[in-house]
Amino acid sequence: MELADAATVSRARSGDADAFRQLVERHSKAIFRVAYRMTGNEHDADDVVQETLIRAWRQMGGFEERANFSTWVHRIAVNCSLDLLRSRNRHEKNEMSTNQNDDDDPPNELASTDPQPDRLLLSRELQVRVGAAMESLSGNERTAFVLRHFDGMPVDEIGKTLGIQVNAAKHTIFRAVRKLRASLEPLVRTNPSCST
Amino acid sequence: MQHLTEEQLVAHYYSDDDAPAAANEHLESCPACAAEFDAISRVLALVKDAPIPERGDDYGEQVWNRLRWRLGAPSRHKQWQWLSVAAVLAMGLCTGVVWNGRHSPREETVRDQQQARVSAPAAGKIAGAAQNSQNQRVLVVVVSDHLEASERMLTDLSNADASQTFDAESQQQRAAELVASNRIYRQTAMQHGDERIASLLTDLEPILVELAHAGKTLSPDELASIQKRIETKGLLFKVRVMSAQTSGGDRVPAAPVANTL
Repeated sequence: MELADAATVSRARSGDADAFRQLVERHSKAIFRVAYRMTGNEHDADDVVQETLIRAWRQMGGFEERANFSTWVHRIAVNCSLDLLRSRNRHEKNEMSTNQNDDDDPPNELASTDPQPDRLLLSRELQVRVGAAMESLSGNERTAFVLRHFDGMPVDEIGKTLGIQVNAAKHTIFRAVRKLRASLEPLVRTNPSCST
Repeated sequence: MQHLTEEQLVAHYYSDDDAPAAANEHLESCPACAAEFDAISRVLALVKDAPIPERGDDYGEQVWNRLRWRLGAPSRHKQWQWLSVAAVLAMGLCTGVVWNGRHSPREETVRDQQQARVSAPAAGKIAGAAQNSQNQRVLVVVVSDHLEASERMLTDLSNADASQTFDAESQQQRAAELVASNRIYRQTAMQHGDERIASLLTDLEPILVELAHAGKTLSPDELASIQKRIETKGLLFKVRVMSAQTSGGDRVPAAPVANTL
């Protein structure tokens, strides 16, 4: 992929739109995955994919050819997602959170109400629960957690991405984990198979 | 024995602790901390396993089709369409050459000439019909791309918050391009007698023109007026239906709530 990217990136840097199209087609799904984890919303993730690629196109001239394109565009996706998370209306967020709380059953009922839950349904339920738990994180917490947990980014780089000190980044990850634990631990306790 | 704090356990999980060996040693000898660490690990594993919505193999192409308007890049689809048009023209040319060659007076006997006099008009009609059918197919393919782009614009307009000012600047260039192509396709559809496409493009054009000539913003009243016209004519639904049909019917448009076709 990287070797193929190198030649394509070189052409895209000189303004070749067809070369950039190839990069879009190769990397859009990976960008979507990052964006979805960061935003927790499919439509927002689609928007982030577009915004990321527009920024990438505009900044192609500044991209160093020796660098890894997928890493570079991943970073842009993280920044776009972070911008979106930060710009989300707090009121709207609270409203969504309240609605979800109103609609959801208590977490520990997930396993106890159905002795033989359908696996697909359970998977969907878990997705909803995890999504709701992630929604409770602040923009910085969510970003720090996603970068550490899913991308394995070192804490000092997370600090640079968020513009905070290393210790603050470490503490942000901890706060995120603590919130997730508070929301999700009942699921793990009542349904041990979920953790596998 | 001093227990590990929750923060230390989280740092240990991610190997971000300063003394991982000491933490491991403690976990081996302290059931309480080991249980706590296990609980954290299980929650984090649960989060990692949460599924992500799938995107199809053509997702990259879909993204590109949405993006190219904003990047000002040509469509691969469009490039292919030009090739199709060129191919049809070339076929037409070849048909004419072959036709003329086969019916060259120098090679024809008197009997052939008599037969040709009788059959040439009929054969000409068949060739003309075939040519017309080819052109029709090319028109459908070309219009499909145009309708998809128009559909996105109408959707943006219809979904905009009518209580607020609408930022039309980003849409203007797109609308201007669509007006130009809409005129060409409308005229072509009329020439080919495709009344359905011609009628739809006739309805679509005023909206595109208005947006192309709007200022940088549309006031709430202006936006509401456009939205009402889109809704009254059932324009978005018609475009969706036609777009689905011309692109091979792989998309099923949602039924309109209050619109009539």
